[in-house]
Amino acid sequence: MSTLNYSKTRQAARWFDVRRRKAGMWAYALNRITGIGLVVYLYLHLGVLSMLLQGQSAWDSFVALARSPFYLTLDVILLAGILIHGLNGLRLAVTGFAFSAGAQKALFVILMIAGGIILIAAALKIFQI
Amino acid sequence: MSANAFDQESKPTAAWLWQVVTGVGLVILLGLHMIANHFVAKGGLRDYAAVVAYFRNPIILVLEILFLVCVTTHALLGVQAIILDFGVSARVEQLVTRVLKWIGILTVGYGLVVMWFVIK
Repeated sequence: MSTLNYSKTRQAARWFDVRRRKAGMWAYALNRITGIGLVVYLYLHLGVLSMLLQGQSAWDSFVALARSPFYLTLDVILLAGILIHGLNGLRLAVTGFAFSAGAQKALFVILMIAGGIILIAAALKIFQI
Repeated sequence: MSANAFDQESKPTAAWLWQVVTGVGLVILLGLHMIANHFVAKGGLRDYAAVVAYFRNPIILVLEILFLVCVTTHALLGVQAIILDFGVSARVEQLVTRVLKWIGILTVGYGLVVMWFVIK
């Protein structure tokens, strides 16, 4: 028997709908969406590492594949998720201890701009431009 | 939930504190992991021989084990927070916590087995 009821489920999932919401809701939704994506990636990554158990040829074949532009593009997307989640998480940690609680929006914007700059620099490095 | 989540998202529970501790740890450990494995390594990834040499360095091994524990704990606490937001009963909450704890133990165990296989 399910312990969920429709209204609770709907209410708990409202964070996903950011239409007509303020920056705080965008920050909250971005943190959760990137968090879910990173959990999925974590287990995919651990699955890929099982190739190490199959020995040198299996791993080196994967490495050759992972250096293709398609995989490098996925790396940039992954890095974007890490930066959004990590920098937003730092904001949460700082403001959770009541530091800069009145400047959350400014902190969010500044950190996301910093994240964007880091992402561009890293993408250029990844593609060796 | 109000339209402005800035006022509501931080709740200093024990799980939240662990989330912060592991999160801050991850900023450092994931940063090191990404730089060492994807930016310093030639071609952005280590081949098999380089992976073996990397993990045989005891300092790297300790840092990677810490990273594994931190990332697993942080990820599963996040999953727990999302599930508990659905307002489940205390019994289901206990069950979710227990299942996630075992998933965490199995995940760290699996990672340690991979590392052991690489360095042996």
